[in-house]
Amino acid sequence: MKRSLLLVTAALLTLAHGLAQTPSPAASPITTSDIRNVEAPKPESRLKGDPDGSLTGTVSDIAVSDPKKGLTIADALNQIGQNRIAINFVWTLITGFLVMFMQAGFAIVETGLCRAKNANHTMMMNFMVYGVGMLAYWLIGFAIQMGGVGGVANLGGAPPLNTEWTFHLFGKPFGLFGQHGLFLTQGGAYDVAVMVIFLFQMVFMDTALTIVTGSAAERWKYAAFLVSSFIMGAFTYPLFANWAWGGGWLANLGVNFGLGKGYCDFAGSGVVHAVGGLTALAVAMIIGPRIGKYTRDGKPNAIIGHDIVLVLTGCFILAFGWFGFNPGSTLGASGNGNLRIGSIAVNTMLAGMTGGFGAMFYMWLRYGKPDASMSGNGLLAGLVAITAPSGFVNTIGATIIGLIAGVLVCLSVEFVDRVLKVDDPVGAISVHGTNGLWGVISVGLFADGKSNYGGSWNGVNGSVTGLFYGDASQLVAQLIGVATLVGFVFTFSFVVNLLIDFVVGQRVSPKAELEGLDLPEMGQLGYPEFELKARPATVH
Amino acid sequence: MVLAGLAVTLFGFLIAILSLGVTSSVSGRLVMVLMGLAVSLAGIIGIINRSCLKNAIWRR
Repeated sequence: MKRSLLLVTAALLTLAHGLAQTPSPAASPITTSDIRNVEAPKPESRLKGDPDGSLTGTVSDIAVSDPKKGLTIADALNQIGQNRIAINFVWTLITGFLVMFMQAGFAIVETGLCRAKNANHTMMMNFMVYGVGMLAYWLIGFAIQMGGVGGVANLGGAPPLNTEWTFHLFGKPFGLFGQHGLFLTQGGAYDVAVMVIFLFQMVFMDTALTIVTGSAAERWKYAAFLVSSFIMGAFTYPLFANWAWGGGWLANLGVNFGLGKGYCDFAGSGVVHAVGGLTALAVAMIIGPRIGKYTRDGKPNAIIGHDIVLVLTGCFILAFGWFGFNPGSTLGASGNGNLRIGSIAVNTMLAGMTGGFGAMFYMWLRYGKPDASMSGNGLLAGLVAITAPSGFVNTIGATIIGLIAGVLVCLSVEFVDRVLKVDDPVGAISVHGTNGLWGVISVGLFADGKSNYGGSWNGVNGSVTGLFYGDASQLVAQLIGVATLVGFVFTFSFVVNLLIDFVVGQRVSPKAELEGLDLPEMGQLGYPEFELKARPATVH
Repeated sequence: MVLAGLAVTLFGFLIAILSLGVTSSVSGRLVMVLMGLAVSLAGIIGIINRSCLKNAIWRR
């Protein structure tokens, strides 16, 4: 009995093994007839409603190119392609809308950090910089920045943006500015993908412009602000943005000179924040400190803002908008490694958190209290710093980058205030300038080589990898970007604003400044129903 | 003085660019770029800012 049982078991095992090794029949290719046999929900069943969603979005919703032929494989494939691009369009547009809302955050942060007598003036600068910047960018800036970018695969190509002006240096092409896209019509720029790129890039540019209004607040002549912002939106920002994002020479440092993957700035610590912060420094130097900010022997006085509630609410709005800023910079959610949007969003929130902690604990230890406005600036500093590396680092890297940014912003504010004696009412130079540069450098240190956006970055195969993960040349590419920001962008901004100072005059009169800029510059008080008690500036 | 400071700041940027043509070693380029950065910062902090502070409103 035992023997027969063993024989049967052995036979069954042999049979099972044979079955397991039998190759499955080859998958037959899908034909048009297969597609036509897919059953669509009957119209009468849809009349009863679709509470569980199983009848909505089926084969009957695929667009048919030729009703006589009916549904074909080509129709199905075209629908798949369009769905991918549609997902990426919607993603990029919605994240762009979030970035646009950051203007509201900047407006109330800056207004809260200024005195009540300048509330209308500060709000109006933040409000109108949106329109002035957009006009300049539509007329000129966009073409300079993106007119030679070539294809943007996630958005279906955008082939009309294909002409970059270049010259040769050291035997390599150096792209300087794009030439297609003026008024969004020239050079074939009347294109659906170009429109999406324009919207997304425009709100980034406006973010850079609004940084300057903070450092020059409470003494900037409104007419000078308009001219300065227009030139920045038309030339200063687009030029550097072309070099980094528009196919210019910085992006090609990897292809041309073997430096990592070229200059890598995922969402703009350098392009947006350092450009804004360094221009803010140039304008603040030219315009000089507010009356009463420094005593005759150069000691700084604290000039307290009028509404900390506005400041911290604005910081929250900015942190919310940053979820558009960084994850949106993939320019898509589908294909080419874009599922990293989750990782990018988490890196963003973590760096903001550690930035806030870093600043709060620094101030607490140094001055005995957890300063509210500096905690807000710490949050923003962490967000600024993670903007460039957000797409290339892991969460450990993100938290370290944010923590360093939080402490760095406090040290930088003290340095700018006490050593440079440059008056920056909102800390814009430190939050955006100093930490923008730190963010650019941090890519060259912390990029972990795990991101893979379609197999290459800036035309170089592989993933962006920093010094701590084995590629020192990436750090050199990042530092060349920093040297360009400090050496070129600052100089350019300074010269432009010096010329504006000669022609228009950058600063309001001392009388207007002491009175507050709301009435002399804007003709209306920000808070007309409140009696503002003037606290005369003390001069020692 | 401001113009001299601007020239020095721009010169720092040019040193960084020159690193691309002068050497192909990563450490050589790193040293040159850092030198360029230091020159630019000296131009901004040491020359331009000092020049601007000479006319600062609190000194008048």
